[in-house]
Amino acid sequence: MSKSPSAAERLDRAVDGILDGLSPRIAAAAGGVDVAAHPLVELAADLRTRLVPPPAAPSFEARLAVRLAAADSAPDPLAWALRHPGRLIVTGAVGSAVGVGVTAYAVWRNSRRASGAHRLLHR
Amino acid sequence: MSADRVPGETSSVDGDLPDVRAAQANRAAFAILYRRYLDPVYGYCFYLLGDHHDAEDATERTFLAALGAIERFRDEGATFRSWLFRIAHNQLANALRTRDRQRTDPLDGAQELTAASDDPARLVSLADDARRLRAALASLSEDRRQVVVLRFVDGLTAREIGVVLGRSDGAVRVLQHRALRELAVLLER
Repeated sequence: MSKSPSAAERLDRAVDGILDGLSPRIAAAAGGVDVAAHPLVELAADLRTRLVPPPAAPSFEARLAVRLAAADSAPDPLAWALRHPGRLIVTGAVGSAVGVGVTAYAVWRNSRRASGAHRLLHR
Repeated sequence: MSADRVPGETSSVDGDLPDVRAAQANRAAFAILYRRYLDPVYGYCFYLLGDHHDAEDATERTFLAALGAIERFRDEGATFRSWLFRIAHNQLANALRTRDRQRTDPLDGAQELTAASDDPARLVSLADDARRLRAALASLSEDRRQVVVLRFVDGLTAREIGVVLGRSDGAVRVLQHRALRELAVLLER
């Protein structure tokens, strides 16, 4: 047994009709809206007419199109990594090795400088 | 949409899908979707933020996020436009959280939306009507205002609005019903 549609469902069907270009009277009848709720259907038609979607400014449209094109051409590092997991591991290993090497060299240089200064102080 | 359809069933036919597939294969094809939805997304942001600059900012973030995530869009019940407006909704939520809380009239910048007319008396009447409508919309709770804007400015279905707002389509229909009743009282109809 199907449940009869609620007042909100009937009004929604009438609003569908309004959005499809039906007149309020026909939309209300098609939706099965009670006579007492017909003013709501007329209000819906009025809102559809009066709530004009404002167009975006042409300068904004052009600027955003350029930004989207730039974003489109920029490589996505996450997508690249997911497509090439092997290369990601090699890149990570090489990056780590370089990092360790640079750090070791910096520590060695620092210790040499420190010992040199220490010798000068105690000469 | 036809008047006798089962509410919310339109999502089974998503006219954007061929263009979405093209954009997933080649992101340059996203330009078609961008051109199609720039004004609707901008309108949604503008009506909720009431400021052209804030609306442009939210619109820009929406499209950049959508382009970045287009490969992850799946046709699993939600239409592309409900997915896109969901992204816009999240951007709006961020913008509303961080914006200056002193601003109290969210549609203050909407004056230019009044239709043009050569008759000064008619212009005054239109401006007065527009002001009353802005005030009435601004006094709605945020969820009711969202439903009114998504339904009447952008023409989304109850089901699509449900996807955007994270609600059931039944809850959206109830919100729409209550919003229209409240607006009728506020506009003395």
